[in-house]
Amino acid sequence: MEVRNQLSSNLIYWVSRNIWLIIASIFGILFYFIPAPAGLSIEGWRTIIIAVIALILIVTEPIPLPGIAFIIIILQVYFGVADANSVSKAFMNDAVFFIMGSLMLAVAIIQQGWDARIALGIIRLTGSSTTRIAFGFSTIAAILSSFIGEHTVAAIMLPIGLTLIRFTSEDKEQTTQLSALILFSIAYGCLIGSIGTPSGGGRNVIMMIYWKEYGVEPLSYWRWMVYVYPLVLLQLPLLAWVLRSTFKPEFSRLDSGVRRLKVQVARSGKITDQQKLAAFLFLVVFIGWVFLSETFGLGIIAITGVVLYIVTDLVKWEDINKHVNWGVIILFGAAISLGVQIKNSGAAHWLANIVLNSMGDEWLNIPIVTDSIIILLTTTMANLLSSSATVAVLGPVILNLPGDAIHTGLVATIVSAFGYFTAVAAPACTIVYSCGLLRSKDFLRAGWKMGTISIGLILVYANVYWRFLQ
Amino acid sequence: MKFLIAIGSKEYSEPTLRIGMRVAKAFKASVTICYVGPKVSAFSSNVVRLAQENLERWEMELPGVDVLEWAFNFLAAREYITPNIIETGFQKNMLIQSSGSRSELLLQGTMCKDVRLILRSGDIIDELRDEVAQNKYDVTIIGGSQKRRMAHDLVQFIDSSIFVVNKFDYAMRYGLLVPVNDSKSTPKAVKYAVRVAQAFDIPVDLVTASRKEEFGESYKNASDRAATMMRRSGIEHRQHFKVGEADEVIKKMAGDDHIVVMGSSTKNPVKKFFFGSKQIRVMTDAPFPILIVK
Repeated sequence: MEVRNQLSSNLIYWVSRNIWLIIASIFGILFYFIPAPAGLSIEGWRTIIIAVIALILIVTEPIPLPGIAFIIIILQVYFGVADANSVSKAFMNDAVFFIMGSLMLAVAIIQQGWDARIALGIIRLTGSSTTRIAFGFSTIAAILSSFIGEHTVAAIMLPIGLTLIRFTSEDKEQTTQLSALILFSIAYGCLIGSIGTPSGGGRNVIMMIYWKEYGVEPLSYWRWMVYVYPLVLLQLPLLAWVLRSTFKPEFSRLDSGVRRLKVQVARSGKITDQQKLAAFLFLVVFIGWVFLSETFGLGIIAITGVVLYIVTDLVKWEDINKHVNWGVIILFGAAISLGVQIKNSGAAHWLANIVLNSMGDEWLNIPIVTDSIIILLTTTMANLLSSSATVAVLGPVILNLPGDAIHTGLVATIVSAFGYFTAVAAPACTIVYSCGLLRSKDFLRAGWKMGTISIGLILVYANVYWRFLQ
Repeated sequence: MKFLIAIGSKEYSEPTLRIGMRVAKAFKASVTICYVGPKVSAFSSNVVRLAQENLERWEMELPGVDVLEWAFNFLAAREYITPNIIETGFQKNMLIQSSGSRSELLLQGTMCKDVRLILRSGDIIDELRDEVAQNKYDVTIIGGSQKRRMAHDLVQFIDSSIFVVNKFDYAMRYGLLVPVNDSKSTPKAVKYAVRVAQAFDIPVDLVTASRKEEFGESYKNASDRAATMMRRSGIEHRQHFKVGEADEVIKKMAGDDHIVVMGSSTKNPVKKFFFGSKQIRVMTDAPFPILIVK
């Protein structure tokens, strides 16, 4: 009786923890036997079923990420959507290399101790005014995350921000607004900056892969910057205004904190040869991205950077192995392979047609309407999933909508970075949230303002500025 | 015996820790105080860990360490830990990572040999269940939660007795309410009730509830056995026989001035999950501390 109760108890526990896995499985089995809707191939129908299963599992995370990734991969084969070879070919591509390289570079860069230099740089530029320091944090975070990935920058800048807060007052109750101001400046600055260049985030590279799949010449590194970087610069003062109006800091000046931070930074000593070499190697990677990425791919260049860091002993493989989330890499590979099947099976075309038919052609020929639909779909999904997974799954559908593929793809990629609303939407937000000084409702307080402004801005920006570039 | 006290924050966990330590002292139990930090999405878990390692390089406290330091100071102020440990102070660098998301600091206790401070992160039910399964705790003590589902999951999935310190008011003069019937879980609940009554030096109300007007012999015998045990332990007590649904009777009698100690449900776990149990119903609405003895 006791053993039976224990078994029942364990079974109930497993069911309660895996309820979404069970729901996704039941959904998959039921819909597998339902005939495909008119106008959609059986492969396309089953690809959509797999995509829905994947979305349920990614949002609820009932099992570890690699498990979800493998489910996506094996279902493509078992459901007859594609054979094993074509799934595996689609699984590994330059975007996956880039995500892998980017996560590895993050480990290498964080270990170099650049944070002290960055802290000093910010303070020299801003002085002790709280408003200027917050603006300095968001600007530096945005500029850096344009090139080295938002999570890396958030991890580097978090201790600087927290040290400044702690040095201002040890009593957390006296710095709740200041903490929110500084930490959101870092997190949102990272999000804003991550759209600035193709190397700012995995989602940017995923969209470049999809452009190639659709026979569209992707934007070069420079061309991307010309298209998007002004938007980064426009958003920064708006961010400063939103945060300043949402969180009224308890201290208008942080003289004491700044003074003590300078002392702390001074203890780290002069810049070392190792730090100089690390910076030089990153410069090499950056130059490679700008001038050689069209030939070799952003991912290959990122991995070249990793190799350089390893051979020069700036980072140990053990550290990379320990800190890189292999599950995320495998999942993005799987999501991209699913995205490719969404296109190849005709599911993307069919889904895009649903949108077209529901809206009417006359409406969708107005670019701002198409943009609004893209923004609605992408922002909602990106705040529930991850931004890269959103672009991987939605990208093929969006590229089937009317309008210039560069325009629609770029809008989707940019708004996927608008993960302002929740703490889980972007790694940079999760990182600042994990320090325990923010509440989840703070993200909504600041997020809805920043989200609304950013959405309004991209609608105008994309339909005015980009017209001049075409 | 081994007790696990789960704390959430400095602001709200003081009653949990205070009551938990007092009960643990009555049982001469070794104590583990556990803080469970929020669950991080698997997408960001590694980068968050990387960021936290960077925080350590800046000599910044990891989230939750300040809560453990507060718990340490609480133990020190009440001399639950030895003077030499108090003198050394809270050493956060002595927190040793014992597995994935679990770090541990071992202290020497005064009322028992070991007092452990544990830092974990993840889903609270998963983490507590894992901690209990690994270390075989007898009692898990936790503060009350606004989430109704929490009470259900605690009773259903944690394999130890559960003490939920709901809305404890230091100014209140509490009594102990012990529901007794002929179920297998009652004798153990009565034994626990004796210790708790001794720890708090409070009188005990033994209540037997039945849906029928007539109380069977087995019910009367169970109440008498409990009364005998109370008398032998020198505890002031009264026996009550009430007609009605047990959970309603318990809630009504407990009011807000009783600590309730009751045995766990003997129902099959599957039935308990879908249809609930008397214990879950009482715990869900309880405006009083409640110990469910497994």
